[in-house]
Amino acid sequence: MNDPYSVLGVSPSASDDEIKKTYHDLARKYHPDNYHDNPLADLAQEKMKEINEAYDTITKQRERGEQGPSSAGGAAYQSYSGGAAYQQSYTGANAAAYAQIRNLINSGNLQQAEEMLGGISTHDAEWNYLMGSVYWRKNWMDEAARYFRTAATMDPGNVEYRNAVNYMNRGGQAYRPYNMGGQMTESDACSCCAQAYMADCCCEMMGGDLIPCC
Amino acid sequence: MYGYVRPLKGELKVSQYESFQAVYCGLCHELRRRYGPASRFLVNYDFTFLAMLFSSGQTPVCEMLHCPVSRLRKHRCLCSCPELGVAADYSVILAWWKLRDGVHDENFFKALAYRLSSGLLRGAYRKAQKKQPEFAEIVARRLVELNALEADRCPSIDRMAEKFALILQSAAGGVSDPARRRVLDELLYHVGRIVYILDAIDDLAEDFKKGNYNPLVYRFSAQNGALTDDDRDSLRLTLRHSHNSVISAFALLEKNPWTDILENTVYLGLPWVTEMVFSGRWKEQKEILKHH
Repeated sequence: MNDPYSVLGVSPSASDDEIKKTYHDLARKYHPDNYHDNPLADLAQEKMKEINEAYDTITKQRERGEQGPSSAGGAAYQSYSGGAAYQQSYTGANAAAYAQIRNLINSGNLQQAEEMLGGISTHDAEWNYLMGSVYWRKNWMDEAARYFRTAATMDPGNVEYRNAVNYMNRGGQAYRPYNMGGQMTESDACSCCAQAYMADCCCEMMGGDLIPCC
Repeated sequence: MYGYVRPLKGELKVSQYESFQAVYCGLCHELRRRYGPASRFLVNYDFTFLAMLFSSGQTPVCEMLHCPVSRLRKHRCLCSCPELGVAADYSVILAWWKLRDGVHDENFFKALAYRLSSGLLRGAYRKAQKKQPEFAEIVARRLVELNALEADRCPSIDRMAEKFALILQSAAGGVSDPARRRVLDELLYHVGRIVYILDAIDDLAEDFKKGNYNPLVYRFSAQNGALTDDDRDSLRLTLRHSHNSVISAFALLEKNPWTDILENTVYLGLPWVTEMVFSGRWKEQKEILKHH
């Protein structure tokens, strides 16, 4: 493994607190929420793994007294949910087609998904939602937002559609350092919970669940 | 190209600003070395950004050279290197195709001016095309597609922006490391998308007045060439999406000697330019910055 200090970009003489802060900043930077449904999610996940390993190594070394006096605490950001999958059970006329289209979207075959959607003449809420999903993955965000909104208007009770609209309305998410337009968080513990909750919401939007109780 | 992709000068350290100047001047000299003195006017901020982005990570070497604009004193310039070369080649190719595009302008005198200036660049273009055949081919193809969509009065911003985004994305074609290539593909796609949309917003009033095609007119049925608050919100939202994608991709790049300046460009420069375009003050700001 690479030198854990250079992975975190800190000097070996850095204090436990400095290391902890750097680790938390990096963990926020590569947090899964910033790579939600993003084609680079796997690379961010790798990066997160490296950072966690480096931080664990340093903490263990310091616990054993090899460097510095005390522990800086174990790595907190372990869970990284992989690519969210579109899942839904269907009934109705286009049930089989919709299920197939979801599979196509999940496997990244957007062209065929779009063609199949083009062949369906009844444009109900689910049709609009799936069309939005195809466009979202094609990076056509303006069109995606419009289809998601139509789906949510046609079926206001559907949580999946509503979450998609809410996610679109936030305009995505990315980490910004506090001196580059980002905000200082008051408490790391607090933001950790908030982010876990957000990740859970995003998973639920795509049919999965990270935290079963909410 | 357009000059939308630039650092926010006020937030750069003096040393960073000087380094940025050195890359900009380096690109100007590289254009002269490769394509003759006439091609120097093609130097711009967007391709300076590309040259920094494509840096191999090696410590940059600079030299003192005379500047054609202020001949009295020498300026610190980045020495010739592969990333400057690539940025110079791309500048020539994109400029030539944009000029060729203008030849079809309905105004006879304008069309003539485009014809003459593209004639001046023909030799340079042939040379650049030999060096970067794939990029030249993609630019030509995408611009033809853009023209066809324009002729159809395409009402989709996404469809239009994608063609331009793919041109910029193909600038990463020479990157061999697959992971780095993927990151740059994603980053450049969204930078291209932002540039296209900003340009459409910036040109809206003028295009409307002249009756030229502008995707926003058809997407929003803009009244008198002005956008409503709802239209602006939609545009801000879609730009925010792309901006977040740029930032998330940028976070995955290895550090290079220009990382600080690139960070400034991505985190601060792009949002600042976006605000200037929305408030209608971009052209004025651009002129002010030119004189500093």
